[in-house]
Amino acid sequence: MESTLFSLAHGFAIAFQPDNLWYAFLGCLVGTLVGVLPGIGPLSGISILLPVTFGLDATQAVIMLAGIYYGSQYGGSTTSILMRIPGEASSVMTCIDGNAMAKKGRAGAALCIAAVGSWVAGTFGVIALTVVAPPLATIALKFGPPEYTALLVLGLIFLAYMSSSSLVRTLLMACIGLMLGMIGIDNMTGHFRYSFNLTELGDGIGIVPVAVGLFGLGEILATPSHKVIGEVIAPKFRELWPSRKEWGQSFWPIGRGTLLGFIIGIIPGSAHIISSFLSYALERRVSKNPEEFGKGAVAGVAGPESANNSASTGAFVPMLALGIPTGPIPAVLIGALMVHGVSPGPQLVTDHPDVFWGFVASMYVGNLMLLALNLPLVGLFVTVLRIPYAYLYPLIIMFCIIGVYEVNHSIVDVWIMLIMGVLGYALRKFAFDPAPLVLGLVIAPIFEQSLRQSLIMSNGNYLIFFSRPISAALLAICIILLAMSAMTFILKRKDWRDKLAEAEAGEPSA
Amino acid sequence: MSSASEKRIILRADHVAGAAFILFGLAVIALSGNLPVGALSMPGAGFLPMIVAVLTIIFGLALVLRASAESPPFAELDWADGKHALMVTAITAAAIALYEHLGFILTMLVTIFALLTIVERRNPVRVGIYAILIVGGTYVSFVYGLKTPLPEFSF
Repeated sequence: MESTLFSLAHGFAIAFQPDNLWYAFLGCLVGTLVGVLPGIGPLSGISILLPVTFGLDATQAVIMLAGIYYGSQYGGSTTSILMRIPGEASSVMTCIDGNAMAKKGRAGAALCIAAVGSWVAGTFGVIALTVVAPPLATIALKFGPPEYTALLVLGLIFLAYMSSSSLVRTLLMACIGLMLGMIGIDNMTGHFRYSFNLTELGDGIGIVPVAVGLFGLGEILATPSHKVIGEVIAPKFRELWPSRKEWGQSFWPIGRGTLLGFIIGIIPGSAHIISSFLSYALERRVSKNPEEFGKGAVAGVAGPESANNSASTGAFVPMLALGIPTGPIPAVLIGALMVHGVSPGPQLVTDHPDVFWGFVASMYVGNLMLLALNLPLVGLFVTVLRIPYAYLYPLIIMFCIIGVYEVNHSIVDVWIMLIMGVLGYALRKFAFDPAPLVLGLVIAPIFEQSLRQSLIMSNGNYLIFFSRPISAALLAICIILLAMSAMTFILKRKDWRDKLAEAEAGEPSA
Repeated sequence: MSSASEKRIILRADHVAGAAFILFGLAVIALSGNLPVGALSMPGAGFLPMIVAVLTIIFGLALVLRASAESPPFAELDWADGKHALMVTAITAAAIALYEHLGFILTMLVTIFALLTIVERRNPVRVGIYAILIVGGTYVSFVYGLKTPLPEFSF
């Protein structure tokens, strides 16, 4: 513990350097704007701005990009409360009661509760990350290829189990992602795979064109401007402070949301989205006045907003300690670190302590900055929200093209982005969540390499995965999760998605 | 009453999606012909693609088989935004084709102007001023502020 505190102090010394403070501030500000603007989520925001970080060192780059990520969680609540439009997916639940509070004249209080809840959750998340990640990384140093293979399989199964769409749909998306991830030169044999004589595909398909296409352009194609209409409720600055009763009503939901969000954040899946849904359902279940939900319940804002911020910090634990992304956003952040020559994983803490501890310490500072930014600048965000969407999306398309092109100066990447945009549009029409596709794309090379290395180690004996205790335990969890899903299907029982839908609708669960 | 119309199989969204995934899996297998699968003790470059392609086909089949229980009829999918999507795609494709030739400034001026006047039917004068301000501001920010060169006119 003493060494952790010493390292954290070293991290603060890095985070408080003026340059790093500036990039944390910039990340938080841009992230808040990304969260505020409908149609541009944190994933496309981070991907588009990735080339801007190429001139920075790894610590500055990850500080800025992470600031965009958790800043967007703060910003998303502003649009939800003032317009009833989720600025990004994890703010969907905040729309319901946040906007209802705004219509009752309590917009300022709702914004303040969301901001304070986000700050408490974000700070708790960073403290937990500080305590959990280094020992986890020490354990992960004992991992060999079979353990990594089992861990990645568990990640995919967990993702499918926790995803808001069905198991089959999620696994299909992950398969397509894995397939895309195998395009290019095979690292172990040197064979060109599915590159169709395009030299640009030799290095494979990058995560940036895929992420920007699926989440940035795909969203624009599916959103005609006439559908984005909404009245902005503008709160006055003096109305921002909640009443004593409202503080009281938000205390426990913030605590529960924080804890729930962090635990879900560590698990693969779109954690920040799922956590806010689960928190809303939980608050409704434990509330003495469940009938108030949907009509401006304070707990309906405090819980989900705390949960999504805590989850976004929790997602950094497996990313930093194991080098494994639990969702598409950590996947892009891993890609960003690799561009700067830093490989996230168990050795990050020992090999790059400045990056690791500077990043962790900057999150304490970033969360404080966001609390200070969000409330006083609410007037600015209201002005931004009044810009018609018809004028905003051409701007986003322009940044998508610049962002993707600047990564490799490759026009092929920009064409890939367009193809992925059209694919993203089609996937939305057929109710597929594209997030597992991005995750599959990122883990494909690690998964393939560790699987093949394991088989070579064991001379082709699959029992290697069951003969080593850690991989056997991880695969046992996979089997249990698959069995639970199969039981749900065979016995026609309600799974957690059905129960959650019922809880959200206020119906009793059988 | 069990009329013929009730018994008729309705084409559902998941029938179409599942069939597309099955075709995709088959196409990957067909394209993997020259990739060595190898042996279990030394897996080749085609080893994992083959496994994933087979899994895609299996999951695609599962989607087709469960379509009637889980999926809406294909005819009921809302394609009202299709025209918007098609126009935005076409203009973006043109922008990508021209980007390295016309350079950033000209391509983006034309793209923003086209999106706002053709797709959004906005006032061309206002759009022109907006496009010049936005493109000019972005160019200055990237080239002089962030020291990130953008493509120049190169015909």
